[in-house]
Amino acid sequence: MSVLQALNGYYERQAGRGRASAYGFSKQGISFAVVLGTDGRVLDVMDVRDTTGKRPRPGIREVPGPVVRSVNIRPNFLWDSTTYALGVRRNERTGAAVPAKRGEHDAFVALHRELLADTDDEGLRALLAFLEDWSGDRYEALPQSAEMLGENVAFCLAGSGGPPAFLHERAAGREIWTRWLEGDDAHREFCLVTGQRLPAARLHPKIKGVQGAQTSGASIVSFNNEAFTSFGKKQGANAPVSERAAFAYTSALNTLLARDSRNRTRIGDTTTVFWAEADGDPESAEAAEDLFSMLVAPPTDEEESAAVRDTIKAIADGRPLEVVEPRIKDPRHTRFFVLGLAPNAARLSVRFWLEDTFGSIGERLGQHWKDLHIEPEPWRTPPAIWRLLRETAVQGKSENVPPVLGGALMDAILRGGRYPRSLLTSVLMRMRSDGNMKDYQAGLRAAICKACLARDYRLGHEKEDVPVSLNHDEKNTAYRLGRLFAIYEKLQSDAIQKSNVTIKDQFYGSASATPASVFPLLDRKATHHLATLRKDPAKAGWAVRHEQRLAEVFAGLETGFPRALGLQEQGRFVIGYYHQRKQLFESKSAANSVQTQEN
Amino acid sequence: MAYGVKLHVWGDYACFTRPEMKVERVSYDVMTPSAARGILEAIHWKPAIRWVVDRVQVLKPIRFDTIRRNELGGRIPAKKVGEAIRRGDTAGLATTIEDDRQQRAATVLRDVGYVIEAHFVLTPAAKPDDTPAKHAAMFNRRAARGQCFHRPYLGTREFPAHFAPAPDGLVSSLPADQRNRDLGWMLHDIDYANDSSPRFFRAELRDGTVRVPPPDSEDVRG
Repeated sequence: MSVLQALNGYYERQAGRGRASAYGFSKQGISFAVVLGTDGRVLDVMDVRDTTGKRPRPGIREVPGPVVRSVNIRPNFLWDSTTYALGVRRNERTGAAVPAKRGEHDAFVALHRELLADTDDEGLRALLAFLEDWSGDRYEALPQSAEMLGENVAFCLAGSGGPPAFLHERAAGREIWTRWLEGDDAHREFCLVTGQRLPAARLHPKIKGVQGAQTSGASIVSFNNEAFTSFGKKQGANAPVSERAAFAYTSALNTLLARDSRNRTRIGDTTTVFWAEADGDPESAEAAEDLFSMLVAPPTDEEESAAVRDTIKAIADGRPLEVVEPRIKDPRHTRFFVLGLAPNAARLSVRFWLEDTFGSIGERLGQHWKDLHIEPEPWRTPPAIWRLLRETAVQGKSENVPPVLGGALMDAILRGGRYPRSLLTSVLMRMRSDGNMKDYQAGLRAAICKACLARDYRLGHEKEDVPVSLNHDEKNTAYRLGRLFAIYEKLQSDAIQKSNVTIKDQFYGSASATPASVFPLLDRKATHHLATLRKDPAKAGWAVRHEQRLAEVFAGLETGFPRALGLQEQGRFVIGYYHQRKQLFESKSAANSVQTQEN
Repeated sequence: MAYGVKLHVWGDYACFTRPEMKVERVSYDVMTPSAARGILEAIHWKPAIRWVVDRVQVLKPIRFDTIRRNELGGRIPAKKVGEAIRRGDTAGLATTIEDDRQQRAATVLRDVGYVIEAHFVLTPAAKPDDTPAKHAAMFNRRAARGQCFHRPYLGTREFPAHFAPAPDGLVSSLPADQRNRDLGWMLHDIDYANDSSPRFFRAELRDGTVRVPPPDSEDVRG
C-alpha cells in the first residue's frame, strides 16, 4: 500500500466514526466574528479567539474550504481574512489599515453574490445585504478593528434571544457549499489512490504542521517547477489524484500533524506521524498508538517514567505485547503505519514509510533497547530517539543533527536493519571534539557505540560481539586499550590531586585513533605517577592495586599497540573506556583497597 | 506465437519513481513493468516488435535509502533550442545552476536484483523476414554478450543496471515477511498513443513475484 492510500484509508475510518471533517470542510483558525442584524447592519464584533494559553490564539472551527490559493485570488465562502472579507489589509510598515489593492474583496463579494442569489435563509440574506452595502473605508468604525486586522473573520446573525449562530454552521450555508463543490466537475480521470474515475485535483490542499516547512503549508505532491513535470503535463495532471482523495489524505495528515496530536513526534529534522488500524476495534488501535508514542519518546516525569521503564524492560526481554499492554487485543493483526516527513521549503520529502503489524514493531523496538543496553546503565529511563540523535549534534543542539540521520535511524530501528554508518561516525567525532562531557552524555555515547556494534554482530557484519558490562576476559585489543586508558586516567588523578589538564583532555583523540604513538608516552607518565604514589605512605596500597590492574590488562594485549584503529575498533575503545572508568571512579572501596580478587 | 525471455538484472541503486511523489522522489517497492520494458528495449528493440512484461521476480530484500542531490529547477524550452538551431548560434542558450538550484531528496532502493520474464509480439511494422525466432535469438545473443543500444537503467538513468540471461536455479534472498504484500495501485506503463496518459494496475507480491497483466487486459486501468 502506498502512503496516500493508507492516509485515505485512515480518513475514511475516522470519518466513519465522526472524527474527521466531511468532504469540503476543514478546521481553521477564526479570530473574530462580525455580528450582523437581519438587514445587514453591523451590530457588533465578537472575539472568538482561544484564550486558554498565554496569548490568544485563533479559535479552531470547522469551516467550508479552505480554497487552495498561493498568489492567486480565490475567496473562501462565509469566512476569510480581513483582506477578502472586509477589504482592508495590514500595511507591513505602519501596521495601519489600508485598502486591499488587488480586488480580493470584489472577488469575495462576487462569489457570495453568485452562491447566495436564491437563498431564503435570513442569515445568508443578511450577509448579502451587508456585502452590497459595505466599503472598506468604514473599517475603522468597527469595534476591535485594530486587533481584527489581518486575522480570519467569520459572520454571525444576531439571534432573537439565543446566541448568534455562525453563518457557516447553518444548514443552508453548508448545503450550498457542498452542492457547489460537486457541481465543479472537471473531466473524470483515473485516481491512483482510490482506483476510481473521479474529478481530478489540479492542486492539492496544503499540509501544515511539519516543523521546518513553510508556515502556509507544504505539499507532498507538487509540480511547481518545470523540471518536476513529465511529458509536458501541468500540475496535477502529472499524477492523477481525485479531489476527494486529495482532500482525504491531506485532511488525515493535517489531523495527525495537529499541534496537540498524540500521533506525532519529531526526530531530528523528520516529523514522524503514526497511526494504527485494527479491524473493527478502534480501542485497540488507539492503545497501540499510545504505546508507540510512549516508547518512541518516553516521558521524563518521575511518576510516568517508572511505568515506562517497566514496559520497556518487559518488551526488551521479549514478553509478548498482549501481556505488556492488555488493551491491544491482537498485535499480530493490528496494522501499524509510520510516516516520516522532512521539509524542503514548500515541499515535503517522505523520509521513510513503514507499514507492519504492531507485534513486529514491538519486537524491533525491543531489539533496539537490547542492543542499546549497557551496564552500568547511565540512565533511569531508556532514552528517546531524539535524545540519542542529540549526541551526534554540534553543541548537543537538536537543530545541528546531521540532516538525513533522523529518518535513517528511525528506519533502522523500525525495520530492524543496521544502524546508519554516520551514527557511529558522528558520535565518535563528537567524543573527540567535546572535551568535558557530563556522565550521562558519556554513557549515552558509549551506549550508541555499543548498539551499532552489537547489531552489526547480530546481523553478521561484525566478527566479534561486544560486552554489555565490564569483561576482564575480553581479548579484543581495542577494548583493552580503552580499559587501559581509563586506568591511566585514574592513576593520574590519584597521583596529582589537582591537575588542570588530564590525559583525557590531551590524548583521548589520538589514543583512540593511533594507539602506537600515544600509549608508550602514557606508559612513561604512568611510571612517574606510580612512583609518586609509592612515596606517599597513605597511598602506597593504591600503587600496588594499579600495578595489578595494569599487569592484568597488558597480559591480554597479545600483539602490542596497533598503529591505527578503524571505526569499529574506536567504538570498542569507547566501550572499554566507559566500562573501566565507571568501575574505577564509582566504586571507591574497590579502587583503593589492596585485593587480589577480581573487581 | 510468442517467445519468452528471462533476464536477470541487478544494481546498487534503483529508483522506480512514484508518479505522485516525483518532486521528492520516492521509489515503488519493486520494479515497475515500464522500467522492465525499458531495460529490455535497451538491449534489443526494433519497430517490428513490442515487449510485453509478464512477471517480475524480486531476488533481494527490499531496502530503502535516502539521498539528497542538488538539481536544476527549470528546463530550457524546446522552442529556444529550435530557434538556436535555425539561427546557427547558441547565444543565450544556457542555464546556470546558481540561478536555478533546487535541492531534492530521493528515497531510493538499495542493492536490487530482479528476474524479468517477458515476451514480445510482432507489430504491424514487421516485415516478412521478421520472425519471432529471429528476434528472440538476437535478444538472447545480445543479452549473453552484454550488448545494448544504451546502458539499461533501473528507473532513472543515473542508476545503471547490470544484466545477464537468468540462469536456472537463481535463488531469491527475500525474507519471509516481505514475500507477500499488497503493493496497491502501481504504474503499469505510459500509453504514448493516448496523450502519454498513465495506466495503473493492482500489484501484489505473491511469493516474491509480481504478476503483470498484459496491457490490453481489464486489470490495467487508466
